[in-house]
Formats: sequence, structure tokens, C-alpha cells
Amino acid sequence: MTNISPTISHSQAEGQGIEHAPAPPPMRVAIIGAGRGGTALLDVLHQIGTIEILGITDKDPSAPGFQRAREINVTVYDRVDDLIKRPGLNLVMDVTGDPAMGPALKEQLPGDADLVSGQAARLLWTLVQHESTLQTGLLHAEKLAGIGSFAAGIAHDMNNPLQLILGLAENLTDEVDLDVVHAQARDIIDAVKRTTAICRDLTSYSRRTSFRQDCLVNVNGKLDEALKIARYAVALQYIDVRKLYQPDVVVQGNPDELLHVFVNLITNAVQAMEHHDTLTLETSAVAGTTQVRVSDTGCGMTPEVQSRIFEVFFTTKPPGKGTGLGLYNIKNVITRMNGSIGVESHVGRGSTFTLTFHEGSGVAERRTAS
Amino acid sequence: MSEFKSGFFVGGESCNGRVLVVDDEPDIRKVVRMALQKAGYDVLEAENGEKAIETINTGENRLLLDVMICDIRMPKVNGIEAIAYFRQNYPRVPLIVLTGFPDTEMATSLLRQGVVDYLVKPVEREKLEASVARAMEQRELAHL
Repeated sequence: MTNISPTISHSQAEGQGIEHAPAPPPMRVAIIGAGRGGTALLDVLHQIGTIEILGITDKDPSAPGFQRAREINVTVYDRVDDLIKRPGLNLVMDVTGDPAMGPALKEQLPGDADLVSGQAARLLWTLVQHESTLQTGLLHAEKLAGIGSFAAGIAHDMNNPLQLILGLAENLTDEVDLDVVHAQARDIIDAVKRTTAICRDLTSYSRRTSFRQDCLVNVNGKLDEALKIARYAVALQYIDVRKLYQPDVVVQGNPDELLHVFVNLITNAVQAMEHHDTLTLETSAVAGTTQVRVSDTGCGMTPEVQSRIFEVFFTTKPPGKGTGLGLYNIKNVITRMNGSIGVESHVGRGSTFTLTFHEGSGVAERRTAS
Repeated sequence: MSEFKSGFFVGGESCNGRVLVVDDEPDIRKVVRMALQKAGYDVLEAENGEKAIETINTGENRLLLDVMICDIRMPKVNGIEAIAYFRQNYPRVPLIVLTGFPDTEMATSLLRQGVVDYLVKPVEREKLEASVARAMEQRELAHL
């Protein structure tokens, strides 16, 4: 199971007197049916730390849920009997839609296991779909809220080339030196291209991301793209940017979502810093584990703040400046990619966010570029 | 009315006055210079507030600088900080703001601080010249 908790190390947490109640035993779940319903259930349940998915089964060996199960290391069963005999099973979820399946399961189930099937399973599936629509909606809402803060940067970057274009064109109305006319016409063309690039960057960033459109993403390229976008939201020109990229680092995921994650992490980092601080972007792929680190030398966070940063609507920014959705969405995106996110932070010294993807999850062995 | 013309003789040639353009974009400094030189002004450039302060404190600029045109969003010392410095140390040098990001609140606050004009990019040559001419009048009045 992927660790998605905001990782304060144990020694830190104990030092701060944070209580650790004994964790209740996980609920052990079996999923019957690996069609759309089973796949959606897998996606939601595997994000929940208190649920352990014992396995999934379907009579169709090419059911889409099987591939998803393998991606997230859930055992795939050919036969229902084998799965429901697993010791410690607490709950069986029948999402086959087959009216005969419920009664058949009821007869075979061990005495202490519960069954969800029929209309109850349909309701569950509806709720799961609703949850996933909400998550996508929140991601988009937060992205649009963020784009509001780009206004100053966009205006700056649009109006400067426009001033150049206007100034040169005015000059051309009475310029007699033909060499100057040619040179200035070329300057105008370049300025128009720069302006167009701004619109292109932002329109591609603001479009709604498709929910599942995974491919191999070139991480270093995405980080560079994110720097270009983040520039509109925060004053990157005042800080030093260090890139420690290992060549050809790739992960499996949705490129738009990953871009959004990087823009968010970079924006947060820059907002935590003063002039002449350092932003470090680091990528590495060693022995089947890929890591992306975004570090700043800014104000850092207290352990109390660290323990809450991934909560929905939690923000330390002033009203109107932060939605409290940024890190919550990042955690969801990374979890969907079967990766994990951790933070290390010290007040006055800065913060480091680390994204980790293990082989077989978001990591791809092949070398490619998106 | 006084006959005084500040910066009237610069580099041995007659000119309408000396203007310092502060903007981090070389392209902007270039087009503003082009426009103002055509209108007969001597133009100095600085890429940020820090350089602008250095420039005004250098040699004859302390006395001969007539008008400053200043961007707001710049690295190092930004426009707001530079304008505060200039208003305090060189209150007789009229200031024009030329910004890419119109902000009503900021405009009001700057105009209250005595900024002559708040221009939003892209600004036409005619408007820029008129604004500088108006600022130049203020500069001359300050010498009366």
C-alpha cells in the first residue's frame, strides 16, 4: 500500500509530542468484477490507508480492472472461490451487475465476512464515480483559481512586447533608412511570436485535464515547462534556480496533471522565499525508484503546519491568496500515479518536497520523451 | 516665466531636457529612447531601481536630470521603492510611471505621492511625448 501521509519522520514527530494512537487493523476487502465498477473501486479504495484490497476477480481475463490491479500490486484471481477463501476477509464487494452472483456469494462466504451486492453495490459505484468527478473538478477549480494570480505576470509579458511593436511601428511610419526598416520589421515579427507563445503556454495549461490519459512523461522537460508557467505567478527573476537533473528520467502518468503538480510545488517554494534565495529542482532514477525533489531555502514550516498541509482547504496564505487545495490535489494526483509525496522542512531553513515512484508504479524503464 | 531650461546644453548639442528611463526590458528602453530622442530629448537608461539611483547620483546627473520614467515590476529595487527614494531625495525631478500592469489602487497611491503621470503599456508616442512635456513644465516651474 502506498504511503500517502505527510511524512514527518518518527523522531521528529515524537520530539514534538505528537500522539500516535494504535492504528486499527485494516479492513480487508475483496472485489468481484473487474469491469468499470471494479476499476473505479480499485482506484478509490487503494488510496485509503485503512483498507487493504486482498484481491480482485472476474470471469473475463481481459477485464480492464486486472491491468489496473497489476499496476497497483493488487492480486488478481481467476476464480471467485480462491479469493473469498482468503483468511481475514471482512468485506466482499460484488460489482459484477450479475443478479445471480449475490445469492451465490452469500452461500459460500465465511461467516464473519459481509457482502455488498445488488442495489447496494450500484449505490457504492455511483458514490465512487461521484468522488472521482469531484476530485477532477477540484483539481480544475484550483488550477483556474491559480491562473487568477497570473494576471500581473501575463500583463507584464504581453504589454512589454506590445510596447515594442507599437514603438517600432510608429518609428517605421517616418523611417527613411531601409536597413533600419528591415531590422525593425524583423524585431516586430519576433515580438509577435513571443506574445503568441505566452497565449499558447497558458491555454494549454488551463485546459481541463483528461482523467485517465497516462503516458510516459519526460520529467525534466515537464519541470522546465512548469518553470515557464510559474514565472507568471511568482517573481522567479529574483531567485536563483538550480537544476540537478539526471538525464532521461521518465514516469508513467498524465502529463497535464504532472505539469500542474510541478507548477504548484514551484510556486509554493518561490512564495516561501525572499530575493536571492535558491530553488533547487532535482530528478533521479536509481534502482527502479524515481524521485523528483523541489527544494527552497525559504521560511520553512513548523511540524504542526507540516502535519496538516495535505488536508483539504488547509492554507497558511492570507484570505484570497490560497485556496487550500494545492497540496491536497497534488497528493491525489501522485497517489493516482501510485507514487508518494513527502516533505522535510525546518523553520528558517526551507522545505523539500519529494515525489517518489517505484518500479511498476509510475516508473517506466524505457527511455523516452513526452 | 523664467528662461531657464534645465539640461539645455548636453554634450555640446541643444536638447529639450534629460530623461532617465528605468525598465528591466531592454526593448522598452530602446523604443522609449527612440521616441524621446526624436522629440529632442537626451535619454539615459537604467535596468532597475538600484541602477537608477546610481545613475542619478553620478556626476552632473544630480543637477541635470529633468524627468524620470519608471517601470514598477523590476528585479532588485523595484519601481515603488525607487519612486519612494526619488520623491524623498530628488523631490524636484518629476516622475512618470510606465507599467505593463494597470492597477487602480497603485495608480492612486502613486499619484498622491506626486507622480506626474501613470501610463500603461503599450503607450503611443504622442501620449508619451505629451506626458514628458508636461513633466518638463513641472521641472521648470520647480526652478522658479
